[in-house]
Amino acid sequence: MSALVLLVIALITYASRAAAVVLLPRPGARFETILSRIPAAIFASLATATLLGEGGAPASVPTLAAAAGALGLSPARSLLLCLVGGAAGYAAGTLLR
Amino acid sequence: MLSLPAAAAVAVFGTLYGAAASVFLGAPLTLLSSLLVYSGALQFAMVALLGAGATTLPLLLTAVVLNLRHLVLGAALRSRFESGPRRRALLAFFLVDETFGFAIAAGNAARPGAVGAATERTLLVSGLTLYAAWLVGTLVGVLGGVLAAAEGLAGALFPVLFIGLAALATRRRSHVVRALAAAGLTAAVAVLLPDLRMIAPVVAGVLVALPGGDW
Repeated sequence: MSALVLLVIALITYASRAAAVVLLPRPGARFETILSRIPAAIFASLATATLLGEGGAPASVPTLAAAAGALGLSPARSLLLCLVGGAAGYAAGTLLR
Repeated sequence: MLSLPAAAAVAVFGTLYGAAASVFLGAPLTLLSSLLVYSGALQFAMVALLGAGATTLPLLLTAVVLNLRHLVLGAALRSRFESGPRRRALLAFFLVDETFGFAIAAGNAARPGAVGAATERTLLVSGLTLYAAWLVGTLVGVLGGVLAAAEGLAGALFPVLFIGLAALATRRRSHVVRALAAAGLTAAVAVLLPDLRMIAPVVAGVLVALPGGDW
């Protein structure tokens, strides 16, 4: 891969980031309502994607246990508590493995 | 502050990327890729494609497809930004999955009237933190450092982080239902259509956001 191709890839990446952030006007109320629903759904999807590998193979036991620990404390709606739950789950999963 | 664990994980993956990419790109281009692209998912995909002997066109198409999610993330952030186009153009560079999450969480926690400032400040600070971690990690990897022992721990951090961010972003019961539906949809795509696995989260997130009302 040449430096020119790399530069084009970097430009594509930045343009995709800037397109909505810079060029879009502030969305209307209806569109804003829909947009407000997206973050939680995307984060849940990203969590799922990071727990599944090629062909849907599950992640390692410690990783699954970490996710379970975080999920268990998620009703508290605290990122710090989720990290603590994840760390406890990871430690338990490592011992179980 | 809470972006520091994510930065540590990003540094570990940066090290792995630096070690893997320098085989195909050489040290200068590997460092340049992290400096200019700053996208872990895309950069690892590039290495995989180069390893499979891919030519320029597949590389560019992959960049376009994997970056589509930024349009959705950017649109969700745009509704919270209050600054002018120049500052938004600067902030846009730091838009990655994790910084999007931190920025949304900071905006949700801010008092009315301070949402825009909190969102923009958090995107900038967490973006700079993770960018620095990605660059340092890449440099360590290029120089021959290997943190394979920490890979498992770093890999476990991302699902935990995203679960925490999902919890912070759910403000209504309907958000929980939509999040669960999106997770199920993503899992189904990962199993049935593995080639679409990388873009499934954003597609699922948009699909479940469209119908019905909130409760």
